[in-house]
Amino acid sequence: MSGADVLLAAPRTGIVAGMGPELVLERLRGARNADGGYGPSPGAPSEPEPTALVAIALADKGAARWLTAHQRADGSFGVVDGPVRDEAATGLAAVAMPAGPARERALDRLEVVRGRRIGFNPAVPHDDRYRGWPWTDGTFGWVEPTARALLALRRFRPRSPRIAEGVALLRDRRSVGGGWNYGNRVVLGVELPPFAHTTAVALLGLRGLDPPLEAEGLRALARLWREEDGGVLSVATALAAFRASGWHDEVASARARLSALLDRSELQDTVADAWAAIALGPGLERLVG
Amino acid sequence: MDGLRAIEARVSGARVLLKPNFVEYDPGRPITTDPRLVAASVLALRRLGAAEVVVGEAPGHRRDLQDVVSRSGLLEALGAVDARFIDLNTEPVRRVEPGSWYTRLGELWLPASVADADVVVSMPKLKTHHWAGVTLSLKNCFGCLPGRIYGWPKNVLHWMGIEPSILDVAAAVRPTYAIVDGIVGMEGNGPISGSAVPAGVLVVGDDPVATDVVAAGLMGVDARDVAYLVEAGRFLGQADPERIEQRGEEPARLARAFAPAPTASTAGRTG
Repeated sequence: MSGADVLLAAPRTGIVAGMGPELVLERLRGARNADGGYGPSPGAPSEPEPTALVAIALADKGAARWLTAHQRADGSFGVVDGPVRDEAATGLAAVAMPAGPARERALDRLEVVRGRRIGFNPAVPHDDRYRGWPWTDGTFGWVEPTARALLALRRFRPRSPRIAEGVALLRDRRSVGGGWNYGNRVVLGVELPPFAHTTAVALLGLRGLDPPLEAEGLRALARLWREEDGGVLSVATALAAFRASGWHDEVASARARLSALLDRSELQDTVADAWAAIALGPGLERLVG
Repeated sequence: MDGLRAIEARVSGARVLLKPNFVEYDPGRPITTDPRLVAASVLALRRLGAAEVVVGEAPGHRRDLQDVVSRSGLLEALGAVDARFIDLNTEPVRRVEPGSWYTRLGELWLPASVADADVVVSMPKLKTHHWAGVTLSLKNCFGCLPGRIYGWPKNVLHWMGIEPSILDVAAAVRPTYAIVDGIVGMEGNGPISGSAVPAGVLVVGDDPVATDVVAAGLMGVDARDVAYLVEAGRFLGQADPERIEQRGEEPARLARAFAPAPTASTAGRTG
């Protein structure tokens, strides 16, 4: 894809008009690296997670090609090679890539990756039958990587037995009263509160798989996003979850808040901007199918 | 300013990174370093001749850093002193040799602002910690590692052993100075769910190990019972209370018994 193609991406996105949405598209265009990928902030080297999200947000075929070219032999996508092997972007990359062998390899990888089993620990009373997906290879399963894997498997491997396991993990780890933090419901007898962003991503992964759990999470999210309305990431992912779930009561106000945040965004975070573009435009359909 | 002068902080011409603790934000709990202290430190370091002072953080729990630093008041405080905030989660990274090998992590990935700083000032909150006993300037270095590589939470550090990881990460970051915010500390089930303790103290030091030893003492914790501090005393700084030079207030006069974390001795590998 040429630079000119990217400039043409804006009219094709169909994003709701307004200064905030225009700014986020401009920022994303400006963040595109010469190799076709995107870094976590403008000017940073390309990495799988922001590249996958922008590929979904803007239907950027160049970004999808970058992903295909940077897939590991085992099908995974890592942030960097090294002793710590992060592969939590694999689910997003599987959604971002077109149908074909590269996507299938990514899905194969998702089928075999599991969080580490630790045995029952009363200090952190998880049900360790449900291992889910970790951030980094060889560690514990957490909410956001599990939700990302569900996004991909639900769409492209709907008969995978791992889907039920992922849903069970989300059910087990939800905060008391609904919603999710990074993945600890109780630690040392104390109930930990949920966060808007992780709740929203969990709901996107969970969509249609467990309606009662979804409904509980949406009720929690309707409260959480208003409490955590200082960041693009929280509000954008919340808006995406509300739109995807048909939770119309919150859509207009979340959209207005997101536009206002985009007008004064203090941090340069391509992942947050890509989520904003997904939440505001047709990229949401590409994400959840 | 008095504290930095007392320890004869040398920052003339230096690029300084302040690393406060903003792991999460809850308006009802003293989880984060007081933004007013961070802003005041920026001004003080400039007066001492620092060429540039920036503030950076990569929280371990909350990924939405913009929400954390805006609602906590940090961005507003930094805006008032015209200081730049850096999201350490999104910066380009550099491979860094840790300088110690307590874990199997090998090389660590540090954000450019951390790796390239001439001076790193660790600015933790004075808190007990349910896995590590206390969380002070050495443990605060966990927040220099980007979540996009190490995750939210940085669970790989717990699997490697939380105390060995504290040593390796601190040995890689090598904070030059420490400023511990004990204006309101946290006791009990820290670093998130504990209770406020209006301790009214600041601890400033040119040796982060010694600073942590003194700060632990202010919470009624004998540093000789904190294994990672004892080990840090072998290569990162001075952990023997008898050999730490005190300037200013006498710590024993200000010490109070913080309620300990519930199972501080059961350093786990989760959470």
